[in-house]
Amino acid sequence: MELRLPSIPLNQTVELIHIDLPAEQAEPLMERGVLPGCRICPVRSSPSGDPIISVDGALLALRRETAACLCVRLLSASGVTSLQDAS
Amino acid sequence: MAGVASPGCASCAEHRTQSLVRLGLSPDRWDTLIALAGNPNTGKSTVFNALTGLRQHTGNWPGKTVVRAEGAFEHAGKRVKIVDLPGTYSLQAGSTDEEVARDFILFGRPDVTVVVVDATRLERNLNLVLQILEITDRVVVFLNLMDEARRHGIGIDPAKLEKELGVPVVAGVARQNAGIAELIATAADVSAGKRKTSPLRVVRYAPDVERAVSELLPVVESVYPEVPNARWVALRLLNADEAVQEAVRSGELGQLSSSAGDAVPTIPPELERQRLLEAATRLRWDLPADFHDVVTQHSYEAAERVARAAEVSGLKRAGFAFDRTLDRALTSRTLGFHLMLLILAVVFWITIQGANVPSSMLAALLIDDGHTWLKGLAASMGIPWWLDGFVLDGVYLATAWVVSVMLPPMAIFFPVFTLLEDFGYLPRVAFNLDSLFKKAGAHGKQALTMCMGFGCNAAGVVATRVIDSPRERLIAIITNNFSLCNGRWPTQILIATIFIGALAPASLGGVVSAAAVVGIALLGVTMMFVSSWLLSRTVLRGEATSFSLELPPYRPPRILQTLYTSVIDRTLIVLWRAVVFAAPAGAAIWLISNITVGGGTLADHLVGWLNPFGLLLGLNGVILLAYVVAIPANEIVIPTVLMLTVLTTGVAGGSGAGVMFDTESAGATEAILRAGGWTLLTGVNLMLFSLLHNPCSTTIYTIFRETRSAKWTTVATVLPLAMGFVVCFLVAQVWRLVGGV
Ligand SMILES: Nc1nc2c(ncn2[C@@H]2O[C@H](COP(=O)(O)OP(=O)(O)OP(=O)(O)O)[C@@H](O)[C@H]2O)c(=O)[nH]1
Ligand SMILES: [Mg+2]
Repeated sequence: MELRLPSIPLNQTVELIHIDLPAEQAEPLMERGVLPGCRICPVRSSPSGDPIISVDGALLALRRETAACLCVRLLSASGVTSLQDAS
Repeated sequence: MAGVASPGCASCAEHRTQSLVRLGLSPDRWDTLIALAGNPNTGKSTVFNALTGLRQHTGNWPGKTVVRAEGAFEHAGKRVKIVDLPGTYSLQAGSTDEEVARDFILFGRPDVTVVVVDATRLERNLNLVLQILEITDRVVVFLNLMDEARRHGIGIDPAKLEKELGVPVVAGVARQNAGIAELIATAADVSAGKRKTSPLRVVRYAPDVERAVSELLPVVESVYPEVPNARWVALRLLNADEAVQEAVRSGELGQLSSSAGDAVPTIPPELERQRLLEAATRLRWDLPADFHDVVTQHSYEAAERVARAAEVSGLKRAGFAFDRTLDRALTSRTLGFHLMLLILAVVFWITIQGANVPSSMLAALLIDDGHTWLKGLAASMGIPWWLDGFVLDGVYLATAWVVSVMLPPMAIFFPVFTLLEDFGYLPRVAFNLDSLFKKAGAHGKQALTMCMGFGCNAAGVVATRVIDSPRERLIAIITNNFSLCNGRWPTQILIATIFIGALAPASLGGVVSAAAVVGIALLGVTMMFVSSWLLSRTVLRGEATSFSLELPPYRPPRILQTLYTSVIDRTLIVLWRAVVFAAPAGAAIWLISNITVGGGTLADHLVGWLNPFGLLLGLNGVILLAYVVAIPANEIVIPTVLMLTVLTTGVAGGSGAGVMFDTESAGATEAILRAGGWTLLTGVNLMLFSLLHNPCSTTIYTIFRETRSAKWTTVATVLPLAMGFVVCFLVAQVWRLVGGV
């Protein structure tokens, strides 16, 4: 089953596989470091469910609709879990 | 200024900094032109300030700089002009501020492009570096924020990075002036060709793309012979970049490359422009639709590879524990909102409490003593009454009132606000408010422009350049006036103190007044949401687009520097503007109060004529006339109201206007207003009307400049005014029904 970012609990690091958005909307995200293959971790969420994610050591606030377009996968248990973002 | 250093120390860094002579603003001639490019919030403006000695505003949030700033200095006998650009993530500009940066990098013909890079986020920053390396050899990379990198356990080897990129890399800490001297020396060498570069070029287009480019390139060059980077233009046209197509179609592309002073190149004939666009469309047919995406993919991979290679491995990465803890409170679901209100209230409370004493001291000095003394002097010199009245009771009094009412609160508010901004709080406010903006169909970054509006609405309107969607940017522009600007809150504070703070016991007066001002500011924010919502349901229909906002790490603000810059730059500049508008307004007021037509002064007629309407709104004729006089600048409303009240009602009791101001200032003001027939309702409605009325002339002009549309400028001007009339009218009716006042 395909996982989307909003279903990931806070502070769990996942790997981004794909951005399910047309190129011109995905581009700004990629420019800000949200690239397929990168590790992202939702660190906070606003009352209406808009997340702040940590990516490459930086914090990025997204809207819920955008977050729902981020297809992710869990890191395997043996994988690196002690990440730069584990605060 | 440059000191004379002894020859012995000529090689050390200290000497090199001394060889830098600040020239301040842009000279008309220069030997070297440097562009400062980079991602947002990487310290470009800080580097600019270190080099020029100017005080370009910096702030800890992405999007602080939205227009180009120029400065100059002399280095090793050469005049260097340097241009500070807005931050941009790539050359595929999305928003207007990014476009400003892109246009200068591509078409401004800089001799050297300095790319300021955030060492803590190397990989992401390298995307832009690689794109710039595609178009020019003359690049120097400034690896900034090395102190933060060190603190977070991120190690980068500048030498390795330099080897990978093929252009000089200078590491430094702009905030502490570290590396700046080396940066400028390196940039000078690169510009003079003393230092050869061999930039890393990763982009390889497929043969069919290259073939299309080689066919289109001559067409671009023949239609726009002046334009540098024709290859880039050709590639963007093949990729159907709408902004570039539009620049070709309108002929604007040709203007971009002309710097000030050159003769503006003539726009190529329409037929030629059409030929270029058609050629691009024809060639595009044979290309795969995603040829660009494939290339970007390569570019990202290259950025990752270079970043890996330059990283010093084996360091333990430290987290941002402090930041995360603070964010847990400041952006908390439950606490975040309350803390925001609390911070706002405390800022206003500090301002009100702190401004009280200096305000009345200034009033005593400038008005009670100064004015009386000047009047005495004028009398002893036998100056005719009309001259003395025009200059002293008109021009001088208005100016003195502006200074004593405006200066103290601004000198407190601006530094406090700037400290919050420097700390990194603004983006958190944007995050907290985003869900509301989303519901209103507006852009999340509108919160940032709203915050800038609390300083000055014209600045807030310019700041909307960070919003990439034209519809949402227009909403942000039209509704920015609902941010209570600094020109208006001295009015709020004064009226709140007199009419509302006075209702509470003396010990609580300050707190109650602060609460009232915060209440008005919040009402403004509410109005902003309501009108954004209305606009996006009606004339500016549409859904909120997606956006992402970077939350920078908290940074300790530089307190002394902030105090200095915010007092010198913001406070004095705004005050000066107020004085410039107050002086002629004072003259106008005195004239209309002293020119008699048919048994009454002009002011009497005007006030009498406006009074019924004013009373209907719970205001009075004097206030409405004051708002007409104060269209140039909101700052002068209170002085105008006071002078008009004194001059038209003759509250002074026959002994001339000057006597009125003899008593202690707040008390005197209150006496004047009460004598002018003011009630609590007048006070409350003045506070409401001061929030809800047309923007000042500067803001109106700025709105026109940014939108280039008379229609939207009119909407932005009339909408808040109409709201003000409606709200004041309703409040007055209800008040009279309930209270019977
Ligand atoms: N710790 C540290 N902070 C820095 C350094 N350089 C700049 N800053 C801070 O970083 C923040 C951003 O600096 P600016 O100079 O405004 O950045 P900018 O690149 O002009 O930003 P935009 O105009 O938004 O693109 C400010 O709070 C600076 O004080 C540095 O070397 N070390
Ligand atoms: Mg800047």
